[in-house]
Amino acid sequence: MRNLSREELLDKIEECGIQEYGLCSGSLRGRIGEAAAKMEKTGGQGAIVCALNNADLDGILLDLLKDEPEKVMNGIDIAALALGAEKKTLHIPEYAQHLADDAVLTEMLGQHQISLEVGIVDVRADAACLLLHLVTAVELAEAFAQDAAAKACYYVSVNGKKLQRVEGSARIAELADIGDAKVLRLGYAYYPAEAAQLTVAEARIENGVIAVLPSGECIVRDAQEQMTASRKQSCGKCVFCREGLLQLQFMQKEIAEGRGKMDYLDLTEEIGSAMTFSGMCTLGQTAPKLALSAVSSFREEYEGHIRKKKCSAGACFSAETYYIDPKLCTGCGDCSDVCPQDCIEGKAKYIHMIDTVDCGRCGKCLEACGDGAVVCTEGKLPKLPNRLTKVGKFRR
Amino acid sequence: MAVITIDGKCLTVPDNKNILQCALDNGIYIPHLCHHKDLNPLGSCRLCIVEVEGREGVTPSCMLEAEDGMVVHTKTPEVERLRILALELLLTGHPEDCSTCPKYGNCELQQLIQYVGPKTGRMKMRTKGFKTQEENPLIIHDMNRCVLCGRCVRACNELRGVKVLQYQKKDMETYVGTVHDRLLKDADCRFCQACVEVCPTGTIRDKLADANKKKEDVVVPCRHACPAHTDIPRYIRYVKEGKYDEAAAVIREKLPIPKSLGYICTHACELECKRKELGEPMSIRNIKRYAAEHDSGSLWKGKGKQLPDTGKKVCVVGGGPCGLSAAYYLRKQGHAVTIKEELPTAGGMMAYGIPAYRLPRDIIAEEVQLIEEQGVRIETGTKVEKPVELLKEYDAVLMAIGGHNGVRLPMEGSSLPGVILNADFLRNASMGKETGMGERIIVLGGGNVAFDCARTAKRLGAKEIHLACLEAREVMTADDEEILQAQEEGIFVHPAQTFERITGEEHVTGVDFMNVESFTFDENRRAIIQKEEGSEHHIDGDTVIFAVGQRPDITPEAGLELGRANSIAVKDMEKDKSTSVEGIFAAGDAIYGTKSVVMAVESGREAASQIDRYLGGDGDISEVLAPVETANSYIGECKGFAYLERKEPLVDAPEERSDNFRLYDHGICEQDICAEAGRCLQCDLRLQISAPSLWGDFTKATGGAEE
Repeated sequence: MRNLSREELLDKIEECGIQEYGLCSGSLRGRIGEAAAKMEKTGGQGAIVCALNNADLDGILLDLLKDEPEKVMNGIDIAALALGAEKKTLHIPEYAQHLADDAVLTEMLGQHQISLEVGIVDVRADAACLLLHLVTAVELAEAFAQDAAAKACYYVSVNGKKLQRVEGSARIAELADIGDAKVLRLGYAYYPAEAAQLTVAEARIENGVIAVLPSGECIVRDAQEQMTASRKQSCGKCVFCREGLLQLQFMQKEIAEGRGKMDYLDLTEEIGSAMTFSGMCTLGQTAPKLALSAVSSFREEYEGHIRKKKCSAGACFSAETYYIDPKLCTGCGDCSDVCPQDCIEGKAKYIHMIDTVDCGRCGKCLEACGDGAVVCTEGKLPKLPNRLTKVGKFRR
Repeated sequence: MAVITIDGKCLTVPDNKNILQCALDNGIYIPHLCHHKDLNPLGSCRLCIVEVEGREGVTPSCMLEAEDGMVVHTKTPEVERLRILALELLLTGHPEDCSTCPKYGNCELQQLIQYVGPKTGRMKMRTKGFKTQEENPLIIHDMNRCVLCGRCVRACNELRGVKVLQYQKKDMETYVGTVHDRLLKDADCRFCQACVEVCPTGTIRDKLADANKKKEDVVVPCRHACPAHTDIPRYIRYVKEGKYDEAAAVIREKLPIPKSLGYICTHACELECKRKELGEPMSIRNIKRYAAEHDSGSLWKGKGKQLPDTGKKVCVVGGGPCGLSAAYYLRKQGHAVTIKEELPTAGGMMAYGIPAYRLPRDIIAEEVQLIEEQGVRIETGTKVEKPVELLKEYDAVLMAIGGHNGVRLPMEGSSLPGVILNADFLRNASMGKETGMGERIIVLGGGNVAFDCARTAKRLGAKEIHLACLEAREVMTADDEEILQAQEEGIFVHPAQTFERITGEEHVTGVDFMNVESFTFDENRRAIIQKEEGSEHHIDGDTVIFAVGQRPDITPEAGLELGRANSIAVKDMEKDKSTSVEGIFAAGDAIYGTKSVVMAVESGREAASQIDRYLGGDGDISEVLAPVETANSYIGECKGFAYLERKEPLVDAPEERSDNFRLYDHGICEQDICAEAGRCLQCDLRLQISAPSLWGDFTKATGGAEE
């Protein structure tokens, strides 16, 4: 390919019919043309910025860097030649920072003269940059290697398992065991279980995510977690992304914890739908779709949380309450060591206390306690210490 | 050019210009927050959204480039709904109560709230919980009020190139700050204050705010503090660039004797210099001196203003800095000017008060000559007894006679032989005459003149010199530099002393002093002095020099009304310098008492302007000598900027300087001058930044067309 002129490269890309993968759709040939025009207009240095969509919170497609690193880098090289740009960067999200320490990867990047940057892509940085999805880079490399038309393909991972390459026509049900699950998270949205009949292309699984929510997991809580993850990912410059995500997260949290109001459903809809076109990058535009789809597809579930304090997954408002008997606690700390929610307060030789609001009712503390001090009850709580108290000093 | 339509108004605008700026420039207000005229668009606040016919959805107008035929609507229901939502979201992270904010009434965000009218009470409000950062000099950061418009970040990075302020993130909360939250001085901030200027809220603020002063005066305090309002940051910048002719031309626009001032100006500017908040102020006087000494005159010699002759004649009585300045500018206005000077040469107190070791006489002669070259006639050795009689020959007279009579305090022994007055002593010393001084000198007074006396006595060979004054050391009026150098030369300085009596029967034998415990002024500005009991002590001496002020050498016989402290009475110290006799004006030390050379220059300038008006001119004595250009606002990065130390002048050692009248301070050397000029914060660049576009200005401009 290095023997080809820029024009020939562009013609070949056109011929292969490569489409940009993910959220910034469009033909690759067309996108290169736009970037080149901007380069000319601004006199700026063009650059290839290869990355996932900023909206990707799971980073599943980063496995391509492990599975097909040579293809990714060849793809970047071809795109750079086609654009006539010198600068090439590969962005990895902050949550995948460990990749920056991967010796093999960094050496390969060095060979290809591609610089590595941690963090989401700053879409404001340079208008003459060509944003290239990792998958597009792979497709581009393959098309040139096989000298054939590009084959649109999808990479998916079911419940975080190994990344696999599938046809767009593959049905979700064929790929994942749905069982009695009620909620699916496919791509950037939630779906009811019936959506398992959709194909990968129809469900627009552009981030590789097929997640089957186990029956014990609540959609409201899951949506809240997704909003939190999005907030962590956000650069915070655009008002709608920064403040909108915070509001969405807050409302999901309030609803999950039984403080929700019916107004929140409309407000989630109002803020979420405005966000889809009010942010600069795919993060702010796409993250609200999770909340929007959750509220619209699972409205009954939301209303149940708000009106009846009822969670069909049984994750919220459990009748069971865990507490630590202040007479029996020896202050050993075994319970707080195992608590996944980190909601047991205490220190050595002090009576430990469980925060019942944050408690996930997993029962791990009950098992861990050697003194039988952790109690699970459906009845009323006895009088418990409300501040750190030395073992043996608690008086009713 | 593109023809576009905004809200039904047809506009012709440059292609690709952003629609928001097109609208604002044509009197159409579109609400906006992150946009600032001088900064690249960011498109983050979404307040400036508009609809374009034929396009789906809304677009921020700051990111929208004008295209021919574009039809834009700024107030459709959808635009307004989304705009309200954007502002509602923006405000969830901003304190709700405006009334406690220092920016209240002066805040762009507050005005936007009034204009847009966002809904309230629907959303989760939060306090970000940042600690207000007040440890930095000059600039306060209160990130709780920040709405992340990003103007400061762009100003710091794009406009200034200093690159100190960046977006940071902590616990999901984005904020603006330095890397690792370092203090600004440790992050190489250049304290240009552009961030303060562009901040639309009360987030980044000036520490030194003063609502009672004009903004320009607070922002550039050195220029304001200079009595002549010399454009200090401008000439410092030229010196930094090695353009000394340009620098000197800037100075000359306000001061006709820049060299002399470069040596001896009392530099009020340095006291106000904002750089002092970071350490030591700029060495402004020495920079001026360097510029004046390296000036070839290419920009002003023979080029300034010179109006054609008016046929009017003016006599200036007194050839000191005030008289010389007034004469120079009156001549430039086209009047025939004659200076009548009593002493053998012109220069006034510069030549007969300030000793030659501080201001060499050839410097004065050189500057006087330039004034003569402008066409001013100087008659020396001419004392004017009756100024009123001058009106027979002249159309106007200016009394710029300075204060050449020393003050003798009415105290026991003050008339004994061996008691000398400051003005007489310094004049005699300057003229090489006998001063009447003995060997053991006691100078009474703590100002610069007192030190001139003490150090002159030292150079004339006095064996022991004491200087005593009423004020405590910290509040002595002399420059610190003077005090320290005098002490280096072996002069004993005794602050906080009362002068009880001068002792002696036939001749001075010394002075009795008491220690001052406290020295204050009551509400009537009368001095209240508390003496320390039992602290009487005596210093032996054969000579006492009074250095407690000077007064104009004039009596009522001159025919002019006199005021306090024998000054010549004028109608208004600044605005109307005419005296009790029509046609006679007065200026300088003669009207307000002993001040400084630069004050005298300014007073002379004002008098020239007023006399010109009296003689039928327009009174406009301003002139443009330096190139008119906009300073480069991209100042760039500078490692360790806050820690750059003030460059000190080369000063001869005490033993080399204290037995002669040779110049001992050689100013800042060539190697250091650029670095010293480079320390300037360039506060004036801030005034180049465009003012925000507020809707209030638009409603006024369009006569309330806005509903």
